[in-house]
Amino acid sequence: MTVQTSARESYRPPYQVTNSAETIMRFPFPFPEDIYMYSMNVEPHIRSGPVAAMRNTFDIDEHYVAECAEKARILQEDPKRCIVLPHMREAEWDFVELAMTTLSDQYPQHFSLRREGLDWHWVNRLLGYEQSFVFGDAGTLPLPPFEYMARQMQGDFTLHDQREDDLWMDGGMVTAQADWSLKFDLGMSFRQWHAPVPKAAEMGVFDRGLRFLLMLQHEKPVRRLNWTMTINPRLDTSPENFMVWGADRASVTPENVADKVHLRVELQTLYRLPRSNAILFSIRCYLMPVRDIMRVGKWRKRLHRVLRDLDPALSSYKGLDLYRQTVVDFLAPYDDGAPLSNGIQPDAEQPENVLAPAA
Amino acid sequence: MVERSGYPAVIASVDVLTPTLRKFVLVAQGGRFPAVSAGSHVVLGFGDEARRYKNAYSVVSATPDGRELSVIVRRAPQSRGGSVFLHDKAQDGTPITVLSSANLFPVVKKARRHLLLSAGVGITPFLAHARALETAGADYTLHHFCRPEEKPAFEALLASLPPARIFIHDRPPEDVGMKQRMAEENIATHLYFCGPEGFMNWVEQTAAQIGFAAAKVHSEHFFVPEGGQPFTVVLAGSGQTIEVAGDETLLEALENAGVDAPCMCRGGACGACALEVLDGVPEHRDHVLTEQEKTEGRTILTCVSRARTDTLTLNL
Repeated sequence: MTVQTSARESYRPPYQVTNSAETIMRFPFPFPEDIYMYSMNVEPHIRSGPVAAMRNTFDIDEHYVAECAEKARILQEDPKRCIVLPHMREAEWDFVELAMTTLSDQYPQHFSLRREGLDWHWVNRLLGYEQSFVFGDAGTLPLPPFEYMARQMQGDFTLHDQREDDLWMDGGMVTAQADWSLKFDLGMSFRQWHAPVPKAAEMGVFDRGLRFLLMLQHEKPVRRLNWTMTINPRLDTSPENFMVWGADRASVTPENVADKVHLRVELQTLYRLPRSNAILFSIRCYLMPVRDIMRVGKWRKRLHRVLRDLDPALSSYKGLDLYRQTVVDFLAPYDDGAPLSNGIQPDAEQPENVLAPAA
Repeated sequence: MVERSGYPAVIASVDVLTPTLRKFVLVAQGGRFPAVSAGSHVVLGFGDEARRYKNAYSVVSATPDGRELSVIVRRAPQSRGGSVFLHDKAQDGTPITVLSSANLFPVVKKARRHLLLSAGVGITPFLAHARALETAGADYTLHHFCRPEEKPAFEALLASLPPARIFIHDRPPEDVGMKQRMAEENIATHLYFCGPEGFMNWVEQTAAQIGFAAAKVHSEHFFVPEGGQPFTVVLAGSGQTIEVAGDETLLEALENAGVDAPCMCRGGACGACALEVLDGVPEHRDHVLTEQEKTEGRTILTCVSRARTDTLTLNL
């Protein structure tokens, strides 16, 4: 993956985010079938998958530098986007180890790590960081260990303590969220933080999910895709800033729908951390405008069918009601109703040009 | 990431602690062991041409650089031979593989105080816990129960911990006022215990009598899967038929036949290996299924349980 080395993009007004052909083709499109409903769609997070975004432990793409810059800006405005409770100190170091070892192993051109006993030396060439430190000694890093590393990664991360046969959200850094708040959810149990989700509890999804995660084993991470939609390429759709972005949902018209409406996909991966016995939850967010999804035939047809037939409770929970019909009407002429293959993989090697480029 | 092959190691030293307990120090070969949290077990792979073993043992210590870890193994002559192999044949340089690790017996990190009770080889998880609690500056007390002739060995094992926190008894808990000590604990104390069945039952019943809240009582049944009558298992999915010998577990028979069966603790404690029984009557030996589930007989934990019938058909 080619990574831009400067932050030319903007995830705030005036928005300026563009996706290369490669980024479009590696997008983790979230719908394996024409109908969407909650399910236990969890699979091993191995280093293969239907699209390239799923083939690394932590995915780095062309937006890396811009997303890290946006994250730093959000943290400066609202430092409480990063909170770790005191009993999660070992989990912080687990996170540092997992992130540094996998990134340096899988992206040696961008990151390197030298370990001599507990003396570690970390280099992040994309952000220009170089740091010697003693593993386990927080005083040798410029920031607390979890914060130091989470700032150098795309996506959000939460740390979960396991006790009383439950998982507790006892830490995290959350700056690119789909309308939930770490400040609000901190200290909550698995069922508590999922309480707003409709239908899934009565389907037994959370009971099975929790039971499965309590058994999660070290070095056997798992993944799932989750999705919603976001107006404008805005990473930070937080409740804290609802007054900033909430009104955008009423701004969609047939003329601007292709550029304004984004499919927001979370590649969620979960890891058992060995030192702390905690669980790391990684939420890697991908924003893809309808204009770019249009460039893959299978995806534009399937998106049309899923949105058209979506359960109203899910549509409401995901906040799509104000513009869902506008998107469906826009996509309908491009769906010939032909059967589509199961799975999320694209049906072409390269994106096609269906719409005229954005003005 | 290591998927299935595990971490190669050799035994670097063997300490004879008592006639039945030996401590083995493992050194990683060509890499590092993964970090382990206190209370974890590792599944070790070892053996010779005649027989391979996969046994789970509590990690009693691990160096922070990932080079070494130690386990204590009790010689269990009535079991399937893994501990006898380690006691009789393992020596410096014997190759051994760390196949996986997991923690089924963590402490509650937010607890204000921890009371640790162990007997015999049940000390093993608490050797790691006591050291971790000491490092964290936590409030804890450990009571260990053993036979008089073993007391010096356990005193040596625990010598690096503050004497005020460690009590080693060579008489049973009821003879040293343990019930009274438990009753005097603050309501915030979490209780942890590990040891032979009789000891486990005593602590469990005493804690219930005193009124410890169930959420504050934690135990690990260390459990060596034993053999039994041979039986035949039929896999409904593939139609495959596999013979389970008297000295191997159902899980081992599945693995030896190349079946990718789920598992984690290999001691009937976690439930990860549960499979659905379609026909036949299981002989349950685990600590996971409820009495009702055991009576229904539709689920079996392959790592410890066997069959009452000649044949067992599994949904696999």
